[in-house]
Amino acid sequence: MIELHAISKTYTRPSGDTVHALSDLSLRIDRGEFVAIVGASGSGKSTLMNLLGLLDRPTEGRYLFDGRDVASLDVANQARFRNRYVGFIFQVFHLLPRTSALENVELPLLYSDRASTTGLGRRALEAVGLADRLYHTPSELSGGQQQRVAIARALVNEPDLLLADEPTGNLDAQSASEVMDIFDALNRSGRTVVLVTHDLAVAARARRVVRLKGGRVVADARPTEPKDALEEVQ
Amino acid sequence: MSTRRLVAHSVQALARYRLRTCFIMVGSLVGVAALTFVVSVGQGAKRKMLTTVRQIFGESSIMIGAGGHQMMGGPRPGAARLTLDDIEAVAKALPEVELWDAQQTMSASVRRGDATATARVLGQSERSERVRGRSVSRGVYFDAGAVKRLERVALIGETVAKDLFEDEDPLDAGILIESVPFTVIGVLEPFGTDLHGMDRDNEIVVPVSTLMRRLTNVDTIAAARLLVKDPQRIEDTAREITRLLRARHALAVGQPDDFSILTPVEVQRMVGTVQRVLSLYLPLAAAVTLVVGGIVAATLMLASVNARVGEIGLRRAVGAHPQDIRLQFLVETAVTTAGGGLGGIVLGLAAGQLVATRLELGAVFSWSAVLLGLLMSGLTGLLAGVVPARRAARLLPADALR
Repeated sequence: MIELHAISKTYTRPSGDTVHALSDLSLRIDRGEFVAIVGASGSGKSTLMNLLGLLDRPTEGRYLFDGRDVASLDVANQARFRNRYVGFIFQVFHLLPRTSALENVELPLLYSDRASTTGLGRRALEAVGLADRLYHTPSELSGGQQQRVAIARALVNEPDLLLADEPTGNLDAQSASEVMDIFDALNRSGRTVVLVTHDLAVAARARRVVRLKGGRVVADARPTEPKDALEEVQ
Repeated sequence: MSTRRLVAHSVQALARYRLRTCFIMVGSLVGVAALTFVVSVGQGAKRKMLTTVRQIFGESSIMIGAGGHQMMGGPRPGAARLTLDDIEAVAKALPEVELWDAQQTMSASVRRGDATATARVLGQSERSERVRGRSVSRGVYFDAGAVKRLERVALIGETVAKDLFEDEDPLDAGILIESVPFTVIGVLEPFGTDLHGMDRDNEIVVPVSTLMRRLTNVDTIAAARLLVKDPQRIEDTAREITRLLRARHALAVGQPDDFSILTPVEVQRMVGTVQRVLSLYLPLAAAVTLVVGGIVAATLMLASVNARVGEIGLRRAVGAHPQDIRLQFLVETAVTTAGGGLGGIVLGLAAGQLVATRLELGAVFSWSAVLLGLLMSGLTGLLAGVVPARRAARLLPADALR
């Protein structure tokens, strides 16, 4: 599904220094995979995530999604691509304050060209176990519940790819585990999940672990048992 | 993406931040209200002033006041040396003077039975009916004989009539002016308020001789009005009058006048000054309010947009086109600024009407003020709301989310 060929990303700091966030990185992710991208901070894992979701553009290299070069799409088509094929989950949730869970979940529908959107938001919230919290605002929900609302929002357009950037970073162990259960279930039902984390316990729930260092892939393991994958990259 | 849904969504977003929305609206409201108010009242006042000036000061009258260097005010007692003889001598010496009327005034308490009132009592000659262009609506004006014989006859204004007689017929009734009995022989034509906001219907006109002898016991007059034959030569006539009066008062060269002369030319100059205040400086002051209000609104909008860069990034991440973001902020800005602007217009016009009614000005609705106000608040919204939002919409979503 995803093919990255010799991707580089270079930032210029305000001070004038250039930072090579990713250098010559190639990666292939197939439909139905559950991939954890791990690495120390500054290893380029968030940059990789942003490039996968077209939130950022690579400086060099090719990004093929289902065989289509998506990195070179214009702004409008990139927006359409994100809306239709990608669901994002962020560490800080990024929910609209003072806005009900249902309306937050329905936000991507506002920008979609679907003919009918009735009931999709409600169904997505039911899928993450929040059917009884439809009209609660973020401030009335716990951190775990907020992240589940964010997952429902990522799911509402039924995207092929779920991208999660440190989804459990702001959660307690209990909530984190619940969120990971949801990712697990989503992956089992066929959804491709890519998550970035520095928490190895979280990474252990994935079926493939990619380790980055200095903007390059230094380890990539996909054995049958998730736990072994973790040991292998370590 | 449906535009209609996006517009509705934007309005809902505003409703979630009622306080902030209100403050932004108030920011553009005050300026527009001030401008609308000042311009509409200013124009009304200007119109009122011009009609009043024409009403009390035709183009062929010269006013002489007792005391120097003052215009349109009351007499200064210390400086008052103007007498009936002065005016009579001037009128005799200058054939250009067609008609004249001298005036002395006092404020007096007026009584009839248990009803009392305070009114301005004007001592005038029988010629004032023509010189001042104000006659009676009921009854008769007093004649020259009444002035000669110091008759105690009075013409009362509508306000006085109402205070003392309510619905009764005042004609031929007796009233006491400072305890001196007078007979009402006429009711003055209604006038309304003048430029100073004085109720000119709260006046009583009596023969000037009667007032000077029986009420005030002075032998000077407060003012006089002369009608000239040729309005074109009015300035020359005024100079002649000055020369004659200075001679009669034995003023040495270099000594200031102890009287003042007002001609229509001078009045026009004064009116011009007042007009500039009304039509330039007051709106300028209002424009300052507009700018300050605009800055307040702009600051709030700017802060709001900056605080929402993350939200913009998120919207882009879930599929919003930059133009969707622009539309949303355009709608939000349009609703707040138009809401504030329209509110300001309504408030300004309402306040203008209120003031105009109290001062009997007849406020004028000014399209230019309304348009300027709306334009300014629209511009504020554009610069502080739409432009930064456009900039945020153009950011890479990854940068906006950071």
